[in-house]
Amino acid sequence: MLTFDPESFNLIEGVQNWAVVMLILAVVAFITAVVVSLAALGFAGPWQVLTHIVGGFQDLFGTSLRRSLALAQLTFREALRRKTLLVFVVFAVLFLFAGWFLADVTADADLQVKNYVSFVLRTISWLILPVALLLSCWGLPEDIKARSLHTVVTKPVRRHEIVLGRILGFSAIGVLVLGVMSLVGYFWIVRQLPDSPDQSPDMKRLTARVPVYGTISFLDAAGKPAEAGVNTGDENMFRSFVEGNTKARAIWEFSNIEPSQLKGGGQLVLESTFQAFRTFKGNIERQLLVQYTLVNADKKLRVPLKAFEVREFRRNVYDVAKENPKLQDDSGKPVEIADLLSGGKFQVETACLSSAQFLGMARPDLFIRMPDRSFAASYFKSIANIGLMAFMVVVLGVVSGSFLKGPVATILTFFIVAVGRLAHSFLEALVTGKVDYHNPTVQFQGAGPFGAMYRIVAHLTPGVPFEEGFFFRVIDVLDGLALNVLWAIQHVFPNFTSFDTTEYTANAFDVPWAEAMLPNLAMTFGYCLPWILVGYFSLRLRELESK
Amino acid sequence: MNNLTSLQRKLVYTGGIVLLLIPIVWLGAPPEPVSANPTGAAPSTGSSGGLLAQKRVEFNLGESDLGNVDPASSTMNLLLLGFRGIATSMLWMDAQKQQRDKDWAGLRSTTESIILLQPHFLKVWHFQGWNLAYNVSAEWDGVADRYYWVKEGIKFFQKGRDRNARYAELYWYVGDTTGKKIGRSDEAKQFRRFFRSDPDEARFKGGPDPAVNPRSVDNYVEAGEQFQRANDTIEAYKNEQHIMAPYLFRSYPVRAMFDYGTALQREGNFGEVCQNVWAEAFIAWTTKFGMMEFVVDVPGLENMVIHMEVTAEELKAMMADENARNIPQSERKSNWVDRYQNTCNYRYWRTRSRIESEKEMADAHREMYEAEQALDRADTTTARKLYLEGMTKYEKKLNEYEELKNEDETVEEGLLAVFGWQRAIELDEEEVPDEFPLKEMWDAHASRRSTVKQEFERRRRAPR
Repeated sequence: MLTFDPESFNLIEGVQNWAVVMLILAVVAFITAVVVSLAALGFAGPWQVLTHIVGGFQDLFGTSLRRSLALAQLTFREALRRKTLLVFVVFAVLFLFAGWFLADVTADADLQVKNYVSFVLRTISWLILPVALLLSCWGLPEDIKARSLHTVVTKPVRRHEIVLGRILGFSAIGVLVLGVMSLVGYFWIVRQLPDSPDQSPDMKRLTARVPVYGTISFLDAAGKPAEAGVNTGDENMFRSFVEGNTKARAIWEFSNIEPSQLKGGGQLVLESTFQAFRTFKGNIERQLLVQYTLVNADKKLRVPLKAFEVREFRRNVYDVAKENPKLQDDSGKPVEIADLLSGGKFQVETACLSSAQFLGMARPDLFIRMPDRSFAASYFKSIANIGLMAFMVVVLGVVSGSFLKGPVATILTFFIVAVGRLAHSFLEALVTGKVDYHNPTVQFQGAGPFGAMYRIVAHLTPGVPFEEGFFFRVIDVLDGLALNVLWAIQHVFPNFTSFDTTEYTANAFDVPWAEAMLPNLAMTFGYCLPWILVGYFSLRLRELESK
Repeated sequence: MNNLTSLQRKLVYTGGIVLLLIPIVWLGAPPEPVSANPTGAAPSTGSSGGLLAQKRVEFNLGESDLGNVDPASSTMNLLLLGFRGIATSMLWMDAQKQQRDKDWAGLRSTTESIILLQPHFLKVWHFQGWNLAYNVSAEWDGVADRYYWVKEGIKFFQKGRDRNARYAELYWYVGDTTGKKIGRSDEAKQFRRFFRSDPDEARFKGGPDPAVNPRSVDNYVEAGEQFQRANDTIEAYKNEQHIMAPYLFRSYPVRAMFDYGTALQREGNFGEVCQNVWAEAFIAWTTKFGMMEFVVDVPGLENMVIHMEVTAEELKAMMADENARNIPQSERKSNWVDRYQNTCNYRYWRTRSRIESEKEMADAHREMYEAEQALDRADTTTARKLYLEGMTKYEKKLNEYEELKNEDETVEEGLLAVFGWQRAIELDEEEVPDEFPLKEMWDAHASRRSTVKQEFERRRRAPR
């Protein structure tokens, strides 16, 4: 089961936002350059700035793929000479001894899959990062120091081709290392976790389920629309609960489901992972009962299905046709699945049938299961995401190496990666004031630094709103400014955690395109493009003799 | 600088290294075990190793003296250099988050990583083992799933026990979880069955999980074995445990037998097996535990050694003697024997195990139990007959052993039987007679009737 809600990425909106930010950055950079050059060179300064910008565009349009690839090849050979591939030794050692750490941790089959898959993906991602980081950060500064770059810049190459060549070369090394590790990892997982021959195809351990999620809405115990279900006091508020044997319902609405896309060309399979909450012990040998009702609101069709017992924390696969050989609406008329799906909104109403017991549900807890993909598909998509992350690190390292010395470049890159990976959610919490994802109601009032300072002095807890008045308005304005600056800082650091799609693969889900692959691709290009420009201008303006 | 060439310098360094190695090897040589020679020649004698190795053995400082050594654990601790504390704290935070997010696979593997880093920290084993067996198991709705997590907790304790063979506490935790969690939780009925026949039939083919029940016995028998090993560990290493007073701790192997007998009765088994369990428990209580010697744990009385098995007459005689010698109350042996007996309810269990091993008492229990079942079937005739017979025998036995008469459990069983008998008569639409067996108990414990009545009604709603 997923512990988060996968959100679909809106590409057009993302590109628009990106363009606006880039424009602002470009304007700010231009103004700063003009002002600095004015101060340094007098009135000749702005002219120099313009010359460099025009020159830059000429360079960019005259990029030669051949020269870049030649430089990439050079970089690749150089990296091999530096014994980069020794990382395989570490990798091999880790896998040799992985058995010590993983064997017998648990005997439960589902839990084992999670442990093994996340071990492999984490290991690969933690090993590839230092390789990418060290190689890329030390490449250019070493060349400058050893003056071997002179032999290159005196050739007819453009400076940005050197940057591109480095990036491509190191990326090629990255691809090689990642490729070998991922293949070894894949076969290791498959060998460690064989499926028993009598396993039903729906419950295979190594697979990639393709879910179609709907939108969720709730009805309260009186049958009236409600924002959420009941809160049963769980610290984790990801799920909200539906009371048994009342009119309370959780309703999932799906759009654009074509019967031909379904398993076996029309087999409707619903899969769920609900949480059970009992207010009294009841019959502990029976689990709580849940019933789906398939609804097509526009056609006024309601088809109640056979109820089933919920196996908590396990995959509850419900094949509609297999469980209900004859589908009938509530007046007893026979209905086809295709009638329900096509034309109008298709909904799945979920009710708990056990009196005074509750079932907890969140949006990703129920989905329509489309034909599965192979485990390899999901696994290699996760690997591709690790590759994207390594690529970003390479770009960042090469760019920082173009204006900093090796050790400083390493520290800078490491810092950006570490903040982006370990502290991004903390930064986000600072900016938005939302402290805990699983508890949406905890939101700090006046999360800015000035308000916080006042609260410390005045002994006000974060939940108490400020009074009206000039003083508090000033605080609010200052906080607004501070938070905007913080917002900008937050977005300087890419969110490296989003490249970690282990949770999908380890939970036997396919890595979805719109929710995981697309935003990561967009993020990679969104950040790398300006970085490369920075790298180009740094190298163009840099005096190579100053080591 | 100096006149040596590069080669000469290297040779000097090598010579220095070799020189330094000699004392290190001499002091730190590992011991060589005695091994049989496969060729039939005389076995090699082994050696006690260098000075460091000898001292390590002398003062029990080697890690292997604590229990099994896990190579992964040692490797991790070495690899982390001085960052073990930080790594451990991060893992503990991870574990808490995973538990809150209900990521059980993650939690299970994080606990394993934590104990790799803290293999000899008793409280870590206690906390995480308890967490798995009690908290995580309660989160799952399916009884078989819950049982799985109880087993995970027991296995975790077992691992801790094997790695820390000198901690009696860990043997006790294995026993306590095997006994109490399986035998007394809400799911006791199912758990006790699962202990003999695991719900994971694909793996265990209807038998028990050998990791928790290697001898295919009752959970209380296994628990008793673990408690006994806890006691043996204390004897062997003279390490005291820190869970409870020593005289309570030492009573646990026999207490497991009492629990076994009680569980058999609760499940309606009153035959010879049950009577034998009680008879063995009586012998173990009075001859083994009762004869164990304990030093009175009070400053100034370190020389006073007592044991529990003292009859009422002996105690009286002891008191009279001490009275005559004008010994102050706090220094009287009789006073401490009485106190210790009271703390572990010694006299009650002595009488109880004795009486339960007698056939007539077993019959009384059985008749009242079967009467209750007849009542649930609305077979009032059988119920009334069995209730009367059972109550008569019960009263007769209690008159023989006066000290049990006012014990909570005894009174509850008696009053429940009276309520059942009365209900059967009411269902027959007859008047309840004024005189009946156990009338004395009924009158003496009027204040307890309302609570027992509630229990009686609860059982009617959910019959056993």
